[in-house]
Amino acid sequence: MKKLILALTAAAGLVSFSTAQAQTATYTLDPTHTFVTWEALHFGTSTSRGRFDKKEGKIEIDRAAKTGKVDITIDMASISTGVAPFDNHLKGKDFFDVTTHPTARFQANGFSFDGTKVSAVQGTLTMLGKTQPVELKASRFNCYDNPFFKREVCGGDFEVTIQRSQWGSTHGLPAIPDNIRLLVQVEAIKQ
Amino acid sequence: MKMPFSLPFSLPFVLSGLLCSSLAQAQPLQYVLDPERSWVQFEVLHFNTSTIRGRIGPVNGSVLLDAAAGSGDVRLAVRTATVSTGLGFFDARLRQDDLLASEAFPEAYFVATRLTFIQGRVATLRGEFTWRGVSQPLQLTALRYACRLDDSTALPAEVCGGDFEGEVLRSEHGANFGLPLVGNRVRLLVQVEGRRPIPAPHVKTP
Repeated sequence: MKKLILALTAAAGLVSFSTAQAQTATYTLDPTHTFVTWEALHFGTSTSRGRFDKKEGKIEIDRAAKTGKVDITIDMASISTGVAPFDNHLKGKDFFDVTTHPTARFQANGFSFDGTKVSAVQGTLTMLGKTQPVELKASRFNCYDNPFFKREVCGGDFEVTIQRSQWGSTHGLPAIPDNIRLLVQVEAIKQ
Repeated sequence: MKMPFSLPFSLPFVLSGLLCSSLAQAQPLQYVLDPERSWVQFEVLHFNTSTIRGRIGPVNGSVLLDAAAGSGDVRLAVRTATVSTGLGFFDARLRQDDLLASEAFPEAYFVATRLTFIQGRVATLRGEFTWRGVSQPLQLTALRYACRLDDSTALPAEVCGGDFEGEVLRSEHGANFGLPLVGNRVRLLVQVEGRRPIPAPHVKTP
């Protein structure tokens, strides 16, 4: 199923690349500088953190027309907290149920700009088989000429706090909080 | 011992009394760090564009707190080779001599003996941070701090902990690789929870 999604995403990428207008730049995710880190408050005391290590995706941005598109797929089994029993619990039926729902997907075509910088991205997050709207707000955004790739790289830091119950994730509520903060580092390389 | 017909205090009051004993007692109380809830996350800005994050831990150490006296002794250490960014090759690069120097200096540690408390809660820890064999002053500031009673196991404990924040300039420790494209400021976010077994007799509902 994951391979199918990735194949479809890749095929869609080829189509949109060939039909893209002159001003629309297509960027491929730099997986070494793209991570989703989540934060959850533990008994009102301290913040537990984890991240997802495997992801793929594509971004289109037209900074003149102030439009864009995002499609990122996350491998939910790649969750990492540093504590193996915690990872296994999170992958199980109580939480992400990765056997049934191996991926999560963020798709967006609502882009807000502040000048030439992306300030927010509105789209949907599909997780646990449910699709809900989310808005990622940029805490910074920048484009630069990357000396290693010898290409333009655009990226930034984005964040959103979601209510996991909206995706049907209710295990442990309210001791395990509903609010989960997502911190998204993203960089993408111009194609 | 003859049991009274009615308890002089409500059970929650007794429990909260135990929980708040750190406020009333004059002697320092010792907490054992919970390795599942004691981690360092670092943040470094990459090309002034996005934030690189990594995890180091779990945090080892000893924690003595005396809230009534407003004092304490906190010694925390991490093995820097445990660094985890989600990228194996990047972790290996970070461990090299010009960054974490994990082979020459396996541990980074923080010794704080100057503590401040606000309403019985730890507010700041000031001390020395030693990394790559270089010691520099460091303050960790509590973003939140709380204590609770954990009576979910056979060994009830007071659990105290919080989120602490600090900042290190890596150049001050000689970790200069990649400057200035990768930032000099390293933000440290420290999650920590410590347990203190509550001495018997512990009052528990049947």
